[in-house]
Parts: sequence; structure tokens; C-alpha cells
Amino acid sequence: MSLTEMLPEVQSLSRIDKIRLIQFLAQELERDVGSLIEPGGSYPVWSPYDAHDAAATLLQLLDREKASAP
Amino acid sequence: MNEAALFPFVDANPARPGTSLMPLLPIILSQGGQEREAVGLLDTGAAVSVLPYSLGEQLGFVWQEQQTPLVLSGNLASLPARGVLVSVAVAHFAPVRLVFAWTQADDARLLLGQTNFFLEFDVCFFRARSEFEVRPKTAK
Repeated sequence: MSLTEMLPEVQSLSRIDKIRLIQFLAQELERDVGSLIEPGGSYPVWSPYDAHDAAATLLQLLDREKASAP
Repeated sequence: MNEAALFPFVDANPARPGTSLMPLLPIILSQGGQEREAVGLLDTGAAVSVLPYSLGEQLGFVWQEQQTPLVLSGNLASLPARGVLVSVAVAHFAPVRLVFAWTQADDARLLLGQTNFFLEFDVCFFRARSEFEVRPKTAK
């Protein structure tokens, strides 16, 4: 059943059932997000964050090459 | 202005489709007559680009000859790194000189980071539709 087909059915629900539906959908969404990260899983982070000195040194290396280019 | 090249996000965990889509960019690295195809992870959080050890060796770099020592951070901080320059071709664009931190870590990914991949290329991420665009930098 598509969402378009479901909406009239949802509109016909009582106020309390609409609230129950909201709670159900919120739980479903939370479960989807939670499944993206496994409890106890290992997630190595290789990104050299904040390696600003290394970045400055590499830019100097690049500049030296540009300066020595014919 | 160069037209952007469009690439798909790649599913890094086929066992759970859609949970680990990565912006992996196919590139060709050239150095001293050696040429290697590789796939780099576009990493806007990385201060520098990272070249794994074996890929550097395949390009002909000799560790003892490198004279630019670097100190990295994160998982890579415990291993030495050296600065190296490589010509990199992306899609149909003209090759550019990119500078990499060549790490002794072999299980590291090839990372394309701020210095200087993101200084040479403009990238737009469209994660919700699983695509990203890359084009050479444009003048201000």
C-alpha cells in the first residue's frame, strides 16, 4: 500500500490512535538509526584530523617544487 | 568552467546495503614513469591526504630517500610518515600535483584530504541521492 493510499485511512483514525501511530513511527525510525552502528563494533578512524603542522609542511614541499620548476 | 564529473557513493558494506555508502573516487597516480589506478576516500575531515605504504612503493618511492618527515594524528600518529608529491588524474580533467603524507601504515585507506586535494578540486556531496560531483577549482 502506498503512502497516498494510506493517508485517508490515517485521517480517519481517532485522536488516540493517531498518537499511537506517531509513537510507533518514532520507534521505527529510532531502530533504523540504531542499526547503523553495531554495539561493540570496531570502527577505526584513519583521518588525520587537526594535523595542521603536517599540512603546513606539505604545502611548503609543494611550494618548493613550484619554485624550482623551470 | 569545467563540467563536473559525477560519481556514485559506493557501498562499503554490501552485507548491509545502504548503511555505509562512501565517497570513493577512482584516480590515476603517476610518479617517475610509474602509474597506478587507485580509489581514494574523499575525507573533508582529514587535514592532509594519506598514501598507504604499499601504494607508495608501487609508485617507486624509496622510504630512505624521503626528506620531509611528518607527524600525523589519529590512528596514524604512532607511525612515521613522509611528504611526497604525486601527479593525480581525476576523470577527464588535466592531472594535478598532489602532496601526500606517505605513511608506513599499510592498512590505512588512500585518503584525499584538505591539503591539497580540496585546494585543487571543488566537490559537492549529494549523499541523500548517493552521488557526488568533482570539478577542478574555479578562480574566485
